Formats: sequence, structure tokens, C-alpha cells
Amino acid sequence: MPGRTPRQAGYTLVVCEKPDVARRVSEALSDGSATGSTVDGTTVFRFVWGGEQLVVCSAQGHLYAVSDPFEERTVYPIFDLEWYPSDLVEAGAGAGRRVAAIRKLAEGASKFVNACDLDVEGETIGYNILRYACGGKEEEALRAKFSTLTKEDLVTAFREAASQGAQGMARAGRARHAIDFVWGINLSRALSQSALGSGRRFRTVSIGRVQGPSLNFLVEREREIRTFVPVPFWKLSGTFGRGGAKLVAEYSRERILTKSEAEEVKSECADREAIATKVAKITVLVPPPSPFNIGDLQREAYRAFGLLPVRTMQAAEKLYLDALISYPRTGSQRLPPSTGFARILRGLSGLPQYSVEANELLRGELRPAQGTGTDLAHPAIHPTGEKPRRAPQSAEASIFDLVVRRFLSTFGPPARREAVRVEISVGAHKFTLVAARTVFLGWLAYYRKYSGLKDLDAPRVEEGDRFKVAKVEASESFDQPQRRYNQATLLGRMESERIGTKATRADIISTLVERGYVEGQSMEVTDLGLAVIEIMKKYAPPIATTELTRKTEGELEAVEEDGIGDADLMRSTIRSMSEQLLGLIANEEEVGRELDRALTSSAGAQDFLGPCPVCKDGTLRVVRSVRTKKRFVGCSNYPSGCRASAPLPQRGTIKVAGNACAHCSWPMVHVMGGRRPWKLCVNPSCPSKARRRA
Amino acid sequence: MSVEGEAKSVKCLLCSRDAVSELCRYHLQGKESLETAYPHWVKAYGILGWKDYLDRVKRNVQTGQWAKETAEMLAGR
Repeated sequence: MPGRTPRQAGYTLVVCEKPDVARRVSEALSDGSATGSTVDGTTVFRFVWGGEQLVVCSAQGHLYAVSDPFEERTVYPIFDLEWYPSDLVEAGAGAGRRVAAIRKLAEGASKFVNACDLDVEGETIGYNILRYACGGKEEEALRAKFSTLTKEDLVTAFREAASQGAQGMARAGRARHAIDFVWGINLSRALSQSALGSGRRFRTVSIGRVQGPSLNFLVEREREIRTFVPVPFWKLSGTFGRGGAKLVAEYSRERILTKSEAEEVKSECADREAIATKVAKITVLVPPPSPFNIGDLQREAYRAFGLLPVRTMQAAEKLYLDALISYPRTGSQRLPPSTGFARILRGLSGLPQYSVEANELLRGELRPAQGTGTDLAHPAIHPTGEKPRRAPQSAEASIFDLVVRRFLSTFGPPARREAVRVEISVGAHKFTLVAARTVFLGWLAYYRKYSGLKDLDAPRVEEGDRFKVAKVEASESFDQPQRRYNQATLLGRMESERIGTKATRADIISTLVERGYVEGQSMEVTDLGLAVIEIMKKYAPPIATTELTRKTEGELEAVEEDGIGDADLMRSTIRSMSEQLLGLIANEEEVGRELDRALTSSAGAQDFLGPCPVCKDGTLRVVRSVRTKKRFVGCSNYPSGCRASAPLPQRGTIKVAGNACAHCSWPMVHVMGGRRPWKLCVNPSCPSKARRRA
Repeated sequence: MSVEGEAKSVKCLLCSRDAVSELCRYHLQGKESLETAYPHWVKAYGILGWKDYLDRVKRNVQTGQWAKETAEMLAGR
């Protein structure tokens, strides 16, 4: 830390973002001699480093949050906001004691170091603590910058800690929180109040700045899928024999649009002789992949392990706190030489599962493949080379292996694949066969299990070879509708549209699920999700589109870069929010009616179980007894005499499974709420249950 | 109970959403898709009546929910 003096009147207070980081920093700087004590329930480490007394404390995420000064939670519009300790904003946030502890520690400090994560959120956390809990020390505090929690990086970071400069990231972070609060609180209250006005019980119907356009992506896709009508076409394939060998090739035109033409081709090829008219061999070099940024890692983890983006983020953060990988919230796909490739590989060579590959790479030149993504604060995600102190949990172990193997593969030479394309002619008709296989592994040697590349051996065919047409088949096919987004593909869309940040996108997707706007892995939009977007498009159109959000993102980026312009941005946000709110307020009754219909329909959809197998006319529904308040299954034709009914478990959420029982045709349901969901046929007299009873 | 003079919204024949004519905008879009795809089906199979087409479309697993509901309604007319 430049400007360090041997002993000052007070100590240096180091503010970290998380308790684990405070512990790591203290261990690294004190060579493990730091001892922890508690101040108002907050663990604090005290030790001497370079002749200077250090006191290391930590936040636990955000200790301050933006809120409005009103007690009444239904007031809107709100443009009057301030930063408050988090637990005044959200009960149980637990920030109060920590703020009190840091305030107390700040009184005895003569120097301050911000050691929070080096990104927009971390800068915001550090800035707020230094400003509010430490009595306006946000400008004079030094900044320790690090991308891994290894001893070497931490010592360097504290030795080189310097003045914070314009603090663009902190300003942008604070502006982002304020803007998101203004959007979220006003729109959500406008929607919730409208829904309440139609006589329902209160329910939070929220829409945020990034949430709106993200939900709109899903709704647009949902509309395409639900209104989709497939068009038929035919695919032809030919089987050709020579000696005992058989070749299967596809017709050169992928789609034949009429049945008559497909039949015509079939009959023209029947029992004819076929000739291999072209055999082309090509060699393709497959370059190594670039190192991971957080979006790449989340998508790859979803593809390889089915891990949801939010879970990948949690696992990656845990690995970072254990000093096993670098800071994961990065947009960079580049690894600078200062990363210390050889040191990391030497560390990995000490782990049995990577020792062969790491040692092999250490014998060559270390120049990793680089991507185009950049991040001013952090390099691409990479392993640190540290040995795990404990066996990582399953998701963490998977992410660790993925990060290590990706890192190793970036140093590998290109893989070589050989592809053979055979053209087989039957008169004027042409069929094609393509096969490819890897002939040189290169980087695939380190990443094969995640690469997804498949080998198909090429047939031994020379130009001019003759075959007998064994058969030509025409299969009727239909256009496929677009696929629904899953969490990984939605994340990709948000990235490409440049809405949200690498730190917030996964959480925004989770909120869409929690609010009941989408359901299931395939993110099927519910009636409520459709209604919210419909309402926005009708009464406040910019909220559902990307333009306004993207413009704000651009302006936030400018604040981040220059450290100025945040006040102007806030003013323009308030102006545009006022305009949008006017549309909603003026149509409150109509908005309420539309939400009411959607909420009723969503609830109705959950209560509807399926057709009644007894009267064959009514529908089985979840009904609540007026007398006992217990739920059970009843038929909608009860008033007409159908007495089909069945008991239901009284605990947990009942969800329609979507299929009928194979034994009795009664509907199946999922019961959720216990340790794991279970599937149940609602018929108490189902033969399958009789067998179990016997 | 409706108040005198209050405009009563017309509901979609297939769901409880407000109707544009007799269908909501979603089911109308489904109807448009059905009409757009019909000539392609006729071309593909040679001869195919409207009712037969609707019957095939509603049994097809790729057909979207709103298009299917609309096909069912149109087939019943």
C-alpha cells in the first residue's frame, strides 16, 4: 500500500465483501497467524502486516439498499428514494448488527481499504459501507484489486493498493440500483394495485426493467409455438448394396414438398443401378475454444450437466471463495500472460486427475486461445492451481472439472477431423452420405467428454463404384415449431440483446419462475405471464421492449467508464417512468380486469385435473370442502349427479401431471412440498394400489 | 349485473379473453396460421378438403395449442 507509514494513530480497516474473503485475506497477509474475534457478532481479524496494524472485517453482500421513505407499501408513484441499511428495507436481512460493528471499528481507524469484489456490485457494496458506516471515507479509501483468493494474488493486491479514482463502477452500480428500484416499485405497485382493485386478495405482480423485455422474449416465442400449424413434407433415403456391404444415404433435396413427387422419385429409383459419382475428402481444423466467461460457463454447464444458470453461479462462487478458481462474474474470454499459466499448470499437475495433461502442456509453449469478450476488471475464468482443501460438492466438482478442462484445452493445438462426402447417383437423382471422424485429438484430448463431437466412420467407396438400389424410402415429416427457451438459451438471448448484467441475468430468470410467469424446465409461459406482457404492450409499450432497457444499459456503461452522468441518467429515468405510469394509472380498471382474468385462469388451470373417467362428460377438479376446508377431487358434473370423488393429500402443492393413469384412466398428479415430489393416481380404487395393498 | 350504458366486452368463443371479432387475438392468430397452411397441405397431398385438413391438423402433435383449439371449433361448424 503506497504511502504506508510505520505506525499511525489508528489502524487500517479493511472492508471485504464476504466473511470467507475476510478470512482468506487475513490468512494470506498474516501467514496464517491472524486470529478472529467478534465485534457485535461480526468476525474481525487483527494482525500486523508490513509494520501496520490491520483490522479486517466484512459485509455479507449488500448492507445498504435503496428504498422509499413511506411506511405505506401501496403508495406510488415513488421518485423519492434513499439508501438505508438493508434490514430496514427487508426484514431479516441481518445487516443492522454488521453495520453497527463496522461503524464501531471505523471510529478507531485512520486508514481504509476497500477489498470488496472488483465488479459493479462489489464496488457498490464497498462504496456504501465506506460512505455510510465509515463516515464518508469512500473517496479517501485505497482499493485492493484481485481476481483470485490465492495468497500470491492477495499479497500483490494489498502491496499495490491505490487510490480509487473516479469510482465509475460504484457510481454506475448505485445508479443501476436506484433506476431498477424506480422501475420495479412503481410498475409492480401499479400492477398489484390494479389487481387488488378487482376484488382479489393482494398478490405481487411485478415487472422490472430487465424482467419486462426478458418475459417478452418468452411470450413472443410462446405465441409462435401455440399458433403454429405444421406443413407436411417428405424425406427420402436410399439403401445401396455392394457385395455384402450396405450404404444408407439421404436424398440430395432435404424436403420434398408433395407426396406425388416423393412417390415419383421412389419409383424412378427402384431396382436401378447406382454409381458413386463423387467422393470428396476434406480435412477440417477445429480450433481450441476460448476460455470461459460467466455466460459461456453457465450455458456449457446447462448443456453438459443440466445445471440451471443460477446454480452454476452459486457453485462457481463457492469455488472462488475456496480459492480454486478465479472470480467468476467476468465477461472476459481472454487470459493475459500475467495469469501465470505455468504456475497454475504446476499446481494442477499435483491433482491426480489432471497431472498427465498438465505435465504434457508444461513441456510446450503456453499460449492460450483467446476469445473476443473483454472485461476491464477480471480475466476469463480459470483454475488457480490450488489443491482443494476438501472434496467439492457434486455441482461444484462438476463446475471445477469443466473450468479446469476448458483451461487446459485452450492451450491445445487444433483438432483435425476428416470428413468424407459421397455422392451416389441413380439416373438424375442424387443421394449424399457424409461421415466425419477425429484423426488428431489436439485440444480435444483435454475436453473430449464435454465437446459433443461424434465420430462416424466413412465407408470405403471410390468414385465409379457401382451399387444396387436395395430400397428407397419416403417418410412423411412435418415442420417443427420453434423450441421454447430454456434458462440457458434465454440467458444467451439476454446477453446478445445486451440487457441485464452478467451478475444479474440468472437471478432475473429465477424471478420469472418465482412470480409464476413461466413454468417448467422448458419455461412455458403461463396465462399470467401472457397477461402481464399484453398489459404492458397496450398501456406502457416501452416496458416490454428492449430499446429503453438497452438505452439505459448503454448510459450505465458510460457512467461506469467516465464516473459521471449518473444524476442525468436518474432524471431521464424518472421522466420516462412517469410517462409509462400515466398509461397504467389511466387504465387501472381495465388492467385490473385483465390481470384478474389471468390470475383466475392460472388458478383454474392448476385446479383442472382432467376428464372425468366416470361420467365421461365432466372434468375432475380440485375442490375445497366448505365445512372442513379440506381439498379433494370432485367432478364438475356433481350437480347433474356424477359422484366421482377422491381424497387428496392435504399438504404440498398439487400439480397436474398431464397424463392419465395407465391402469384406471384417472388423472395423475404431482404432489410437491416434501423432500421430493411424488406422482399419484388420484383414484383411491386404482388397481395398481390394490396390488400394492395386497 | 351490468350497469346501463357500460360497454360489455365480447369474450372469445374459446377462452375468456376479450374477443376481437368472435375470437381473441391469440385464437385469431391460430386461425390465420390454419388458413395460411391450408394451401400447402392441399399441394402436398393433392386433394384435401377443409374439414379433413382440420381433422389432421388437430391430431398433429406439432400443432400449437391455440391453433388446435381453433381447428376443433372450425371443424365443428
